[in-house]
Amino acid sequence: MNLVACTVVENREITPGNFLLTLRVPRGFSKPTPGQFVHLRVSPEVEPLLRRPYSLEGFVERGSLRAVRIYYSVVGRGSKALSQQPKGQRLDLIGPLGIGFSPSPRRLPILVAGGRGVAPLLFFSRRLRMKKRPYVFLFGARSGRELYGLREIKGGRLHLATDDGSVGYHGSVLALLQREWDESGHTPLTAEVFTCGPHGLLHELAEFARGKGIRCEASLEGPMACAVGACRGCPVPLHERERYPAMCLEGPVMDATVVDWSRLP
Amino acid sequence: MNHPSLEVRIGSLTLRNPVLVASGIIGYGAEYERLVDLSAIGGIVTKTVTRRARAGNPPPRVVETPSGMLNSIGIENPGLEGFLEIKAPILSTLPCAVIVSVEGEDVREFCELVEGISASGVAHAIEVNISCPNVGPHGLKYSTDAGMAREVMSAIRPLTRLPLIAKLTPNVTRIGEIAEACESCGADAVSLVNTFIGMAVDSVTGKPILGTVLGGLSGPAIKPLALAKTWEVAQAVDIPVIGMGGITHARDAVEFILVGSTAVQVGTALFANPSLPEACVNELESHLRRSELSSVADLIGALEVPPGRGVIRAGRRAS
Repeated sequence: MNLVACTVVENREITPGNFLLTLRVPRGFSKPTPGQFVHLRVSPEVEPLLRRPYSLEGFVERGSLRAVRIYYSVVGRGSKALSQQPKGQRLDLIGPLGIGFSPSPRRLPILVAGGRGVAPLLFFSRRLRMKKRPYVFLFGARSGRELYGLREIKGGRLHLATDDGSVGYHGSVLALLQREWDESGHTPLTAEVFTCGPHGLLHELAEFARGKGIRCEASLEGPMACAVGACRGCPVPLHERERYPAMCLEGPVMDATVVDWSRLP
Repeated sequence: MNHPSLEVRIGSLTLRNPVLVASGIIGYGAEYERLVDLSAIGGIVTKTVTRRARAGNPPPRVVETPSGMLNSIGIENPGLEGFLEIKAPILSTLPCAVIVSVEGEDVREFCELVEGISASGVAHAIEVNISCPNVGPHGLKYSTDAGMAREVMSAIRPLTRLPLIAKLTPNVTRIGEIAEACESCGADAVSLVNTFIGMAVDSVTGKPILGTVLGGLSGPAIKPLALAKTWEVAQAVDIPVIGMGGITHARDAVEFILVGSTAVQVGTALFANPSLPEACVNELESHLRRSELSSVADLIGALEVPPGRGVIRAGRRAS
């Protein structure tokens, strides 16, 4: 983890309201693992005041180029400011930070993505492909236009779901997972789930996993001030109530079945 | 005039320069070791230590507001014993002054904390946090009433030879009176301001955004308010004043010194800009050079004010 200068290589809207940002980073930037994040200064101005945590969609090493990719939605002041940064803009980031997905799953990995939560799972799927590991990729979004990165998903079995039925299964990606689980005869000893998406979806997935005894790692999202464990501003509520792990240090990827999703905003 | 002196004194503690990092910002120092050059700054104030461990408040604990941040952390910390066991050994290796912040639920806890920290040898000074807005009713009890401030300060004063810095809340009408009360009971310095009580509301859900409804506001939004409080207190007491609240640009530190601060603390803006404390030191040195001043002491309270202007009578000591 270091503070590093970075430069915008590309920053464009690729699905409605969602941008893909490529940031050149210096050689000293440590190689991130899927699920890790960077704490990004979204503008050279003082406002917005705080950095924004973004999990990585990918890490590029091509010739002399070292770059991180971020897939983000414009939802508030920070992401709006970020969407306005032109090519060549200099920014800085702290990272890579946090705990990512377990890099070498012992069971068949079932990747479950909801909306823009697909970002760290695309990163993860590329690593699995590099290791020649088979995987299942379930991707749900509101509509077909939000299904980003489908061509990237190679070497795995892909199933799609949309809320409006425009592409794939008409319904939730949770239903897709239930179907996959039953029809393919997975058991908690043969398969495990890796997920990222809206917390409502993650809550439902965690309940499903808990009910069946499935290992389930989820990538969480929330506001952070320092992102290095100092300020204690990103607490994760657990079913055991004695403590609040910091999302930035003990996450953002955590065991979904120990998180008390009902108390997590 | 090549090397103006940046040294300042807080009681018996000499700081190599007047720039500190505020409590609650960089934990116990080690968290930010790779991001902040601690050897370049005067010192750090630790995350507040309480008598017993605290899990902190339910989420959300932070929310960004225009030019500011609201927080409601609730002093999540390992408690005195945990601090002494886990944090103190690391703190004693840091290349800067270490000021340990403490907060008690009552006078007895304040006494136990001051004795425990003092005996450990880890602290160069103790900041007495009598101004946390996020720990329930006791948090502000000792800094919103001069009599209560006297009670806690006079109880802890005999227990340590370390410099005692009383950290004050701005959520009062007459902050000068609270500062005077602390001074009269042996405080070596006062630091201010802690955060302003604030709240954020989500009009869509019809709910407060912070888990505890109310929180403390920091960041550049409060700088003018903090400067005024610092100015007011600097006129009310003779002990050193440590000013803070919204320092975002390096020149902001100079402003706090001009209104009467002997030292300053950098807070919220460090999250975005970890090199800000060091930049404050550099700017201060440049400012002294440009002004042809040989010491930061010449800058403390040097604000040029027309006679009779800017007087806050409510907080001004009768003379």
